[in-house]
Amino acid sequence: MTAGRDRRSVATALAALVLLTAAAVAPALVGARPANEVPVTDLPEAGDSLSNPTADAWGQTPAKEIALASAPSSAPNANDTSIEAVSVRAARTDGRLAVRLRWADPTRDTNFTGNQSATPHVNSFGDAAAIQLPTNASANPGIAMGSAQTPVNVWYWSGPTAGQELIAGGPGTSTMVNQQVSTSATYRDGHWYVTFVRNESIQTANRTDFTANEDVQVAFAVWNGSNAERAGQKAVSEWQYFPFGPGPQGPPYEAILWAVAGLALVVVIVATVIGIRRT
Amino acid sequence: MSLQGEDGATVELADGIEHQVAMVMDLNKCIGCQTCTVACKKLWTEGGGREYMYWNNVETKPGRGYPRDWEEKGGGFASAEQAGQEDVHGEREVGELPSEEDWGRPWEFNHGEIFYDGSDESLRPQGEPPEWGPNWDEDQGAGEYPNSYYFYLPRICNHCTHPSCAEACPRKALYKREEDGIVLVDQERCRGYRYCVEGCPYNKVHFNVLKKKSEKCIFCYPRKEAEGPDDEVRPPACASECPPQLRLVGFLDDEDGPIYKLVEEYGVALRLHPEFHTQPNVYYVPPFAPPQHTEDGETVDVDRIPRPYLEELFGEDVHDALDTIERHRDRVRRGEDSELMDLLTTQDLARQYRLEAFE
Ligand code: SF4
Ligand code: SF4
Repeated sequence: MTAGRDRRSVATALAALVLLTAAAVAPALVGARPANEVPVTDLPEAGDSLSNPTADAWGQTPAKEIALASAPSSAPNANDTSIEAVSVRAARTDGRLAVRLRWADPTRDTNFTGNQSATPHVNSFGDAAAIQLPTNASANPGIAMGSAQTPVNVWYWSGPTAGQELIAGGPGTSTMVNQQVSTSATYRDGHWYVTFVRNESIQTANRTDFTANEDVQVAFAVWNGSNAERAGQKAVSEWQYFPFGPGPQGPPYEAILWAVAGLALVVVIVATVIGIRRT
Repeated sequence: MSLQGEDGATVELADGIEHQVAMVMDLNKCIGCQTCTVACKKLWTEGGGREYMYWNNVETKPGRGYPRDWEEKGGGFASAEQAGQEDVHGEREVGELPSEEDWGRPWEFNHGEIFYDGSDESLRPQGEPPEWGPNWDEDQGAGEYPNSYYFYLPRICNHCTHPSCAEACPRKALYKREEDGIVLVDQERCRGYRYCVEGCPYNKVHFNVLKKKSEKCIFCYPRKEAEGPDDEVRPPACASECPPQLRLVGFLDDEDGPIYKLVEEYGVALRLHPEFHTQPNVYYVPPFAPPQHTEDGETVDVDRIPRPYLEELFGEDVHDALDTIERHRDRVRRGEDSELMDLLTTQDLARQYRLEAFE
């Protein structure tokens, strides 16, 4: 092998290295939003208006369309769910996180008729929605209500009961806890608009804290009361995340994976180059 | 778990249950007075979303019952094997939720106007004229004159050995008490999903629309536990208030008690709809009726209540049960002794109610 060819191969290897590194890091640098990110917009001026589900301020936030599918569950008729997508917007103001869910449901199933409270029938169910978060923001709980080791915090709203906050460690275990989330709902033109607002930092144990400078996983569920949906018979999303971490993008594990992949490439290329030079 | 009695009969108790409360109702004595219904209502279901509920109801049979057509609404288990499985969640027979109209809406009466305001209207339900209600088909029965027939069927929760209501609940909010097998709804756990209401083939779980929780017969456990002002152990109110005293209350596994004898030894007290496989612990002595008459009023040797109908309600064992009772009646007519007839006609409260057998 000649010295010239040797140099050429080193140059080729270096070029390849640069290209590969660029390919690995580029998606992160150009800021294309990862598929599961639910963007959170800072709206310091919005104040209390964000608790109004149809406030103008919500127009300043990007909407994230999230597909829903029947949750795997042992509930009877678990596969019979009717809501196919939810549109989510999120904003921060005065140390509070506000999340708004909007979804299409042609029937309004609730016991609130204007200001009048009418008794729901013994065989009817209310529309409902929920936001699921890991109680420990850095944990990765199972999507189906977490587990005893990795519990989840659930913000729940339903037509007949209004807001509730729950903690669950697996299906069938959700327990109501002292509510720190405020909810508000509007039904308009065949759509529900429901807001959930909570302080970002929280002192109470077993509640998701959003101030730890890390991304926080989040999942969504919607029940259609007129289809008798309740409990595990619900339409749910995959895990998404709020980008609260330090990086401009991506949850921390994603950055770590890219770093590992990049390092591996460097090692392989260096080893190859050294190998070629020795031959 | 099964216990072997001295006479070889076995009692099946649910796993983990020490004793099982049980009740026998002798249908030959029920006069349909609804005193039991009212006793229960005054104690437990007067208001607060319970207006429409009758934990104890008495319906006319044949008839559509309370709630309307409950026998056709499903629930329970497909087989005894399925009922015996550890966890059959999702494999149960999913039932249908009765509507408000099926239960019958609670009627508001014009008592105030009539009794206090001097109105001379007649007493009647206010608002929309009702089209259905509990025991709406009272005394209608079936059969052709002069051989028409009916009887009354008082019903409470059966505190089943395999309660499909509990099996249906994904939150395990319904449970059987270890000490006596009474089936209760944990009000803290209940989130108003109503799978229990669908799951009970006897439709003995009710939904409280104000509390948004399920509620049901509690076998008057505070009375059983002597929680009243006089610290006395008392049977459920439906039993103690019944004018003809047709109910026997105690434990299925109390071998010296009347329930064990009637159910296990003589086999004359039967489960209602055993084909639902929940193994109820309320048992019925099936009803007799006078034999049929000809048009001219001649008595003929034909059952007035058709046996196939009784078999539909109580299963095949109804034939043996009726034959056994008939045999013992004959014995008494001949002046012989019959422990069975003694048990069925006792007026000794200590024999009729044995809730302290294991204390
Ligand atoms: S009768 Fe119904 S409610 Fe009562 S224990 Fe049996 S299944 Fe449950
Ligand atoms: S109180 Fe006794 S006789 Fe009267 S309806 Fe009830 S069970 Fe029948």
